[in-house]
Amino acid sequence: MKAALIGAGQIARQHLACLKTLPGVGLAAICDLSPATAEAAAERYGIPAWFTDHRAMLETARPDVVHVTTPPNSHFRLAMDSLDAGAHVIVEKPATATFEEMEALARRAKETGRHLVEDYNYIFNHAPQEILRRIESGQFGAVTHVEVLICLDILGPDGFADPNSPHPALQLAGGAIADFLPHLASLAHLFVGPQRTAKTVWTKRKATLLPFDEFRGLVDAERGTAAIGFSSSSQPDAFWLRVYGERMQATANLFETRLTFDGPRNVPKPLRPFFSGLEEGKAIRRAALATLLRKFKGPGAYEGLWELLAQTYRALADESALPVTVSDVLAVNRMIEALKPTEQRP
Amino acid sequence: MRALVTGANGFLGRHVVGALLARGIEVRAMVRPATRLEALGWPSSVEVFRADLRTSRELSTAFDGVDVLVHLAAVVSGGEDAQFAGTVAGTERLLDAMANSTCRRLVLCSSFSVYDYSATQRILNESSPLHQAPDVYARDGYTIAKWWQERVTRRFVETHGWDLTVLRPGFIWGRDHGYLAALGQQLGRHHLVIGPLTRIPMTHVENCADVFALAAADPRARGQTFNVVDGPGERIWAYLSDYMRGSGEPGWRLPIPYWLASAAVRLAFVTVFRRATKVPAILTPRKFDAMLKPLRFENRRLRETLGWTPPLDYRQCLARTYGPVAPPAEAAPWPSETAA
Repeated sequence: MKAALIGAGQIARQHLACLKTLPGVGLAAICDLSPATAEAAAERYGIPAWFTDHRAMLETARPDVVHVTTPPNSHFRLAMDSLDAGAHVIVEKPATATFEEMEALARRAKETGRHLVEDYNYIFNHAPQEILRRIESGQFGAVTHVEVLICLDILGPDGFADPNSPHPALQLAGGAIADFLPHLASLAHLFVGPQRTAKTVWTKRKATLLPFDEFRGLVDAERGTAAIGFSSSSQPDAFWLRVYGERMQATANLFETRLTFDGPRNVPKPLRPFFSGLEEGKAIRRAALATLLRKFKGPGAYEGLWELLAQTYRALADESALPVTVSDVLAVNRMIEALKPTEQRP
Repeated sequence: MRALVTGANGFLGRHVVGALLARGIEVRAMVRPATRLEALGWPSSVEVFRADLRTSRELSTAFDGVDVLVHLAAVVSGGEDAQFAGTVAGTERLLDAMANSTCRRLVLCSSFSVYDYSATQRILNESSPLHQAPDVYARDGYTIAKWWQERVTRRFVETHGWDLTVLRPGFIWGRDHGYLAALGQQLGRHHLVIGPLTRIPMTHVENCADVFALAAADPRARGQTFNVVDGPGERIWAYLSDYMRGSGEPGWRLPIPYWLASAAVRLAFVTVFRRATKVPAILTPRKFDAMLKPLRFENRRLRETLGWTPPLDYRQCLARTYGPVAPPAEAAPWPSETAA
């Protein structure tokens, strides 16, 4: 399987490092507007060809799969051209700036018989997958509610709020937080399904270039409810996922490896909190060590991206169902559309 | 003569602007759009051009009437990709703009980090081996970006037939920049001094700025590459002592022989960290070497080709770095003492 990549920036590194480890996958070409950036990535990852024009790359390298890892506003055109060139497309989140563009891409994917995958990396991290496994085995009980809250300081001058060079995400509805909506929506969709209605609160606590720095959303979905949010001001950085089932509850921090379950146990009811606390403490200590050790090796918090890519390439080779389908992508983006702010600023 | 200076408000840049003015060279200072200029105290003769090399669309007009580009801008914070985008892709955009202008001369600020310390024996000078691809990608983001910046620049120069001078400064020090990575490992207020008698390739920011101004003005610098150090360098133990005294930071210094630390790092690397892909810099042998390998440093080529001697000696540099704040913008000629 021949893979090619457009946009050799920060997230591309994770795609490239992962692709180097996948059996049966060869990196055929890489493209970036900056010749040095393209050439450096080619040299570093042993890619035989590099380009500064994506159309020239598509024509020359004829890739089976194209990874689009450029800033979000360029995704639509690049993904469309890649589908037209007969390639499957794996596009970084947010896949498109608008839902209409997403629908157009999905239509073109259907017309060309190619797959379109948006990177929902966090749903393939160990914790959500382990929760999913317990749900599918029946021990968790039906999910009633899911909470997803990202606390991340994005207010510093080096990133989204760079006063010298406007960050491309600021062009999206919701600004920098829009960059995180696919994470929130894909996790909500994973546990409670497609949304029916949504209510949101978009606010701004700090005087920065960002149009909004706080977001909360309440989603009524087909299988339950979801409370999702993003906080730029709450510290420390964390990515909390809490899933509420009829028999169990799970708590995970997806920036770390922490995952704890609380559920029924064979002790007298008054002693249940005591034994639950001991077990939770043990799980947290184990996760503390695992989080430390993963700093030395592997993809770290990007473990889900590696898993998603591995499963996707396996499915493409076997011609079996992909881990993220076009209908998943449409459902998640429909939820994102319902969560977007109606005003440009609070 | 007019010079365009990128990174003009940076630690080195603000001194380079002063040094160029002192040599009677007009300055157009390129600074980022949100830069505050009040504290820099530049005279009104300095023309300010606001642009960000990463994104600004119109860079060509920056070269109007410019005879020499002094390219200092580099991104030295943030992740590896941010440094590459700012330093390397930024340089590509800048030199693309230069190619549309009449300017044909440039002075590039490179770095000692382009040298492969592990492959260098005894003396590090301009003939020492440089990093090679793909090994360079095992190094830190700063090294990769500076190595590529020099590579990109040399390619442009070859394509367009420009005159290039590459200056590779060692550790640049000065006020608020007294602590150097060569000093070992800080543990809270205390210091593990690895190889206490090793000399540091250092250049005080005002001496270094003088070299940039000289290279911009002197035709003998064309086509040359120079390492910029003030002399053989102070020993780590002695400089750390001056740093702690000057900065008033209390703490203990624990000396560790270089060979012992080097052996421990190499042993750990082939055992504990054998399969690890992300290891702290000081525990990676090649990065450890780049920070701490005991080599001799010299500025012979700079002295012999341009007749340069550092305007300030070590004692004067210490006073400038840790003493009372000097009055701003001195127009007087440099003192004549030498330190090399």
